[in-house]
Amino acid sequence: MTTIRIDNLKRTYGTVRAVDDISLTVGRGELFTLLGPSGCGKTTLLRMIAGFNEVESGGIWFDDERIDLLPAHKRNIGMVFQNYAIFPNMTVEANVAYGLRARKVATADIGARVAQALARVRLQDYGPRRPHELSGGQLQRVAIARALVVEPAVLLFDEPLSNLDAQLRVEMRVEIRQLQQSLGITAIYVTHDQEEALAISDRIAVLRSGRVEQVAAPEEIYHQPKTAFVAEFLGGTNMLRGVAGSYDGARTEVMVGGARFLVKGQVAPAGRQIMLSVRPEILRLANEASGSHVEVRLKLREFLGPVQRLHAALPDGTPIKISALSGQPLAARTGDVLHLSYDPAQIIVFPGTS
Amino acid sequence: MKTFRTFVTYAALAFLGLFLLYPLSLVLNASLRLDGTGALTLANYGSIVASPYYLHSLGNSLMASAMATVLAALIGVPLAFCLARIDIPGKAALLTLAALPLVLPSFVAAYALVLLFGHAGVITTAMRAIGIPIGSIYGLPGIVLVFAFTLYPFVLMPTFAGFRAVDASIEEAGRNLGGSRWHVFRTVLLPVVSPAVMAGALLVFIEALENFGVPAVLAEDRPFLAVDIFKLFAGEADSDPASAGVLSVLLIICTALILLAQRHYLSRRRFSTNARSAPPVLPLSRGWRIVAAAFSWGAVLLSLLPFAAVLFISFMKFRGPVLSWEFDIGNYVMLLRGSYEPLYNTFLLATVAAVVTIILGAPIGYIVTRQRGPSAMALDLVAMIPFVVSGTVLAIGLIIAFNSGVLVLTGGWLIIVIAYVVRKLPFGVRSASAIVHQIDPSLEEASINLGVSPFRTFVRLTVPLMASGLVGGFVLVWITAASELSSTIVLYTSRWSTMTVRMYQLLEGTGAGAATAAASILILFTCVPLLLVHRHLRRQEDSLL
Repeated sequence: MTTIRIDNLKRTYGTVRAVDDISLTVGRGELFTLLGPSGCGKTTLLRMIAGFNEVESGGIWFDDERIDLLPAHKRNIGMVFQNYAIFPNMTVEANVAYGLRARKVATADIGARVAQALARVRLQDYGPRRPHELSGGQLQRVAIARALVVEPAVLLFDEPLSNLDAQLRVEMRVEIRQLQQSLGITAIYVTHDQEEALAISDRIAVLRSGRVEQVAAPEEIYHQPKTAFVAEFLGGTNMLRGVAGSYDGARTEVMVGGARFLVKGQVAPAGRQIMLSVRPEILRLANEASGSHVEVRLKLREFLGPVQRLHAALPDGTPIKISALSGQPLAARTGDVLHLSYDPAQIIVFPGTS
Repeated sequence: MKTFRTFVTYAALAFLGLFLLYPLSLVLNASLRLDGTGALTLANYGSIVASPYYLHSLGNSLMASAMATVLAALIGVPLAFCLARIDIPGKAALLTLAALPLVLPSFVAAYALVLLFGHAGVITTAMRAIGIPIGSIYGLPGIVLVFAFTLYPFVLMPTFAGFRAVDASIEEAGRNLGGSRWHVFRTVLLPVVSPAVMAGALLVFIEALENFGVPAVLAEDRPFLAVDIFKLFAGEADSDPASAGVLSVLLIICTALILLAQRHYLSRRRFSTNARSAPPVLPLSRGWRIVAAAFSWGAVLLSLLPFAAVLFISFMKFRGPVLSWEFDIGNYVMLLRGSYEPLYNTFLLATVAAVVTIILGAPIGYIVTRQRGPSAMALDLVAMIPFVVSGTVLAIGLIIAFNSGVLVLTGGWLIIVIAYVVRKLPFGVRSASAIVHQIDPSLEEASINLGVSPFRTFVRLTVPLMASGLVGGFVLVWITAASELSSTIVLYTSRWSTMTVRMYQLLEGTGAGAATAAASILILFTCVPLLLVHRHLRRQEDSLL
């Protein structure tokens, strides 16, 4: 098991700062996810660790060993590529054995280790097959077996599930997570899919324009985003512009779009512009005005199976989304007024007008 | 990763520097030296420009190339349209046959023209016997015809691809918006294919301008640039290296300008539309379909007819230069009686050259495809220079460079191989780069990530993945090296004479019969390897362009 330490890493392409002074520590046996929109630098950072992109300044350490000066083929890192990168001219077995041959493992041992690795990804009978006979999911499992069989210090995943269909994606991520936990191997996982990141990770780093916005466990990063960007990127939220009002000793009043919201604590001096992040699922349909509540007008209802999403508007027309369980009966029709109640402690406040 | 790439880049640049740029610089130098004293001067240029003969020579060459280009386009574009959009019987065979003239030796076609329509040609004599005189095919008419019919595939192939690349839906959209078929053809199809036509036509021009063999056979005593350069340098009576240098520099400038224009033109236009569904066959009446089929088959067969004629005539009996209609293998006996050496030399030189070209071309093609940055760009540029240098000029440069000093190569086989390798390198590089484009870079990264060094990854993973493509490239290089005349004629010695040189000598002398046998052997040298690796070649045709 290995700890990964990234110190002040930098990489610029022309004037673009792809990786802008990033420092991170990934603990032993942790599955650490780099999450962000395309162009945020997550893939560049991963490829710097793998040795495919050069490090401009800063360093990368595996435990006490500095690895960013080593050539890519001497770093002992397992990597799973987005498009699998299975060698098309070799059988499944030869693909998995490739790294062992490179490490000059005795021929007698190679067979057993390949068989074991294939069994671990439930492909024990597929050794003699050719890659073109395999499905996308099977190819991805070969790629994982090939990366694991060399017993790497660290495992890197570069958007490994993005080429699979939705259902398979969910199955594979469970499989990857179980495998990683049972082996206890330190892993870095790159994705732009926030749901995948939340589901699979021990911790997540949200990246934006080459910088780290926040590093935290999935629950924390979802419920306590540090920046408006993180709040919006993870799960989607209602980001509402408002003006702070009076503080009653427990809650602050905030005027948003002609409605009055209550937020826990004194968040800003009266009159200050602030942003509120109101997650769609903290708004609950209530029968009448009571406690912390707000009135909105229903615009459109989307039925999504287990949940329904309601598109509504605040008095001045500002759109607001509500997600409610489908089990909750809803008699309201377009144009009707809805009463929404919420817990003031669940609204997150950000400064300014970003 | 870096060390491997750096090594390949510098090794390739060193090779091309030594065997291409250095010799060419010596040619340039020779053109700037005063005869005798060796002082720097522009006088040589002055005397060439002042000489009506050489101006005529330049004019003839440019005129022949321009006319051949127009004619090649007039054959290639309609043929491309017919093959792409009209239901013609035997289309697949037609496409394969239409690519043949590119690799068949064009001076053999020129010689066929002489055999058929020359002073003592079969058809000329026959027609004269019944009282119909035939105009002379020597000079411009014959040269233009041969160029057009051997070089039209340069226009045909990209234009065909262009017509095929127009997605059916684009045309349908044009029709749906209310355009007539003709209107859609003019506003959608032509603009899409015109860069392809242009690109191909400029290549025809370059190839025609550089070509030595065809004017050597057909010009008689009319001046042509490529022939004059050879005569000025190698001629026994009037050797004048300075003037040869001047003409060489002029030739290189012409071809380089055309190539730059071609690259510039291409870089601003992209004619592929990534067709998902190939454009449909045009619904034509039976009559029009017959016209299209007759034109297509007619043009392709006409371009191959000279080669067939040579093969046929080679088995006829010659009495001196006069042909009689009796079957006989005497021509072959006469050709090979002297020695098998030219046959053996051709085989050996072409094989060694093809092996070296591919070994050198594969890594260069790899680097220029995978690598960005100034050194890769320099490599890409330098590796394409042989395109604009005619074989004669390169050979002259090699002789000046390696006739004396530390490295003496003249008179041996190595200098011929070097000339072939340098000349054919663009083929090797392009065919390799075409394959590398199809190999996902993450395959190599996966290999490196698994602990195999970049160099070993290239050898053990990339090369096997490239192998089937490289076989095609190898065969193309082999064929074109085996029928190479323009540099061989400058570099050969009696010990290292080749089939092409033998044929040239026989043409100059009185060995008409043996020359047909030599020409036939060259045709076989082209067709047999092509048949052997036919499967591999489909993808390779583009690398000729």
